[in-house]
Parts: sequence; structure tokens; C-alpha cells
Amino acid sequence: MYLIGNFFYVSLLLINAIAVLSEDRFLARINLSPSSYDPAFGAGSDASIKAKIINLIASVRTLMRIPLIGINTLVIVYGLFFG
Amino acid sequence: MQRPTYGQSPPLHHPVPQHVSTVPQLRSPPPPVPQSGSQPTYSSSPYQQQGGASGNVFGAYGQFMNDPTAQVAAQFGQTAFKHGQEYVEQNFNRYVNVNALKHYFNVTNTYVINKLFLVLFPWRHKPWSRKQAVGPNGQEGWYLPPRDDVNSPDMYIPVMAIVTYVLLSTVVAGLGGKFQPELLGLTATTVLVIVLVEIMALKLGCYLLGISNDSQLYDLIAYSGYKFVGIIVTVAVAELANGGQGTGGWVGWSVFLYTFLANSLFLMRSLKYVLLPESAHGSAGPIQTGDVRSKRNQRTQFLFFYSYVVQLLFMWILTRP
Repeated sequence: MYLIGNFFYVSLLLINAIAVLSEDRFLARINLSPSSYDPAFGAGSDASIKAKIINLIASVRTLMRIPLIGINTLVIVYGLFFG
Repeated sequence: MQRPTYGQSPPLHHPVPQHVSTVPQLRSPPPPVPQSGSQPTYSSSPYQQQGGASGNVFGAYGQFMNDPTAQVAAQFGQTAFKHGQEYVEQNFNRYVNVNALKHYFNVTNTYVINKLFLVLFPWRHKPWSRKQAVGPNGQEGWYLPPRDDVNSPDMYIPVMAIVTYVLLSTVVAGLGGKFQPELLGLTATTVLVIVLVEIMALKLGCYLLGISNDSQLYDLIAYSGYKFVGIIVTVAVAELANGGQGTGGWVGWSVFLYTFLANSLFLMRSLKYVLLPESAHGSAGPIQTGDVRSKRNQRTQFLFFYSYVVQLLFMWILTRP
């Protein structure tokens, strides 16, 4: 059971890392921001790998910003009171 | 084996069955019940025996059932139990598709033996594609159940292999004097986490490469569970040969390498039909051939990476003591 808790912590930290990346300072530098790719000819599922990664990162950030606040608060409270 | 003929046997005292026994029609004939009767009555007695065998359950309760109030209570109990079962089934059906699961447990002994041999020695097997037929609802492209097709993935072997692996690793730890009851739960959660991570990595790879996933999730879970067969073999052989040193030494590592290669080849050949696009020459018109080839290369590389590298990592994790 210890392993599942550890796995949950690791995944939570990774998702936090994706959500915290600064868009204009970091993602634009390495060309992974949503504003720098053009869906000119690629259809929804025919896009290149890079477009898909950009899409994935953007959607994770948009979707998980608010639930992450709640989950982080829970984990912090748990860590404070129960070690 | 000749039995001495005793003439006509006396009429058998079996109570009449209270209900029609819902024994599913198995492929194999019912095993012959040993009887002291003579040979000419053999043709009629199997049916009597079967009816008698199902009626014997009520034969023991025969004395209680004569009371009408007991009968009413029994009826009430039966209907209550049936209602409860329906309720549980309805709610369970919303989360887990039970009918689809039944398809994966539709196996025979022959299939299990052939499939185990295939997982451990896949080099000489020729056709890897699954057979298709018209489904029960008249849908096209419905795959045959594992009963009729060796290439079809099932869930029976993976489930059995996972349970055996958990028990085996605990036994090995116990033989080394390091048993604790938490080890069972720990190993089970390790297995669960590894299967989850593997399926997520596969799904992520499919999304990134644009592979449309026609096959169900259960197929992928089943394929992910086949490596436990090789892991069981490795752990068992290493334990027999090394006597408690884990999978170190020549014997352990060579068996591990062999089972890893066999499992990877099995996965690559089986998942080729799931992940790689069909080499349809007719539909490659509007797409440039260079694009299709690069996509195909990417997918082949991904499949290779998944079958070999990822499985190596997970099999190594699982065979550590």
C-alpha cells in the first residue's frame, strides 16, 4: 500500500510541474507554447507529434489548474497533521 | 474393465427434482458416475443419474420442505436473493462491462496450454492474426473468442499468472526467511501500479502517434499480463537453481533473458495488428507515400520500444527479490 501512495505523490508532483511552467518565458523559448504552432493543414488526428504534445500540455494546464489547488491543499494538510 | 452382470438392478430411489437444474451445457460429456448396476442399464441411467444428482440436493432437505410455512419462507428467500443479485449486477454493470469480460474468460484447457507454449516459445508460430466472424448481433469484424482462436487474447492466463506471481514471490521471500504478511499486499500493489503505468504509457504513445485504438482496453490489459508467465518461470527456476540468492548468477539471468526475448517477440507480433496501420494500398491515394512511410516507421519504432525496452524495465523490476 505504501507503493500506491508513493506513486500518487510522484504523479501529483509531475502534474504540478506541467501546470507551473511559465508560458512566455519557458515554453515559447523551446517552441512548445500553443501560440507558436499553426494548425494550417493538419487535421485533428493527423497533426504531427509536436502539435500533439503542445495540445496535451495546453489542455493539462487548462484543465488541472483548479483541481490541483484543491488536491495540493489536501496533501499539504495531510502532510502537516499526519506526517 | 468387465463388471460381472448382476441382472436387472432394483429401481433407483431418487427423488424427483424440484426445479430444472441450470447446469450449463459443457462440451465434454458428464463423467460416468460409478454404479453397481449392470451394463444394459447404462444407457438410461446417466439421465437418471443427472436428474438424480440435481435432485439429491433437495433430497437432503426433503424432510424440511414438506412444511408449507417453510416452503413459503424458502420462496421468499429465493426471490429476495434474486432481487439482490439483480441489483448488484445492474450497478456492477455500469462500471465494468461484464459481458465483454465473459468473452475473455471463454477458454478451454487446450487453449491455455497452447497459449502458454506460445508465450514461452513464439518463434515458430505462423499466422498471428485473429480470426473474425460475424458477431451475435450481426456486427462485422467480431473476433472469435479464445476458445476457437489461439491468437485471441484472454484474461484467464494473465489473472492466474498475476496471482501465482504474488504467491510465488511471497513463498520465495519466506524460504529466505524474510516473510512478513505485508509482503502480499505490497507485491499486489506493485503489480497493479506496473500494469497501470504500462497501460498509460501505451495510451500516451497511441495518442501521440495518432493510432486510433479500435481494440478494447481489456485487450491491452491482457497483453500486459502475459509477461507474468515468463516472470514466474524466471523466479521459479532462479529459486531452484540458486537457492535464495534471487535472480543473480548465470542461470537466473539466462532464463530471464530468454523469457524476456520470448515475451517481447510475442508482444510485437501480437500488437502489430493492434497498433500498426493496415498496409492498405488502396487508401493511400491522397496521402503522400513519404508521409505514410515515416508514420509507419515511427509506429514501428514505438512498438519496438514498447515491446523491448519497456518490458525489459518492468520485467527486471518484477524479478528482483
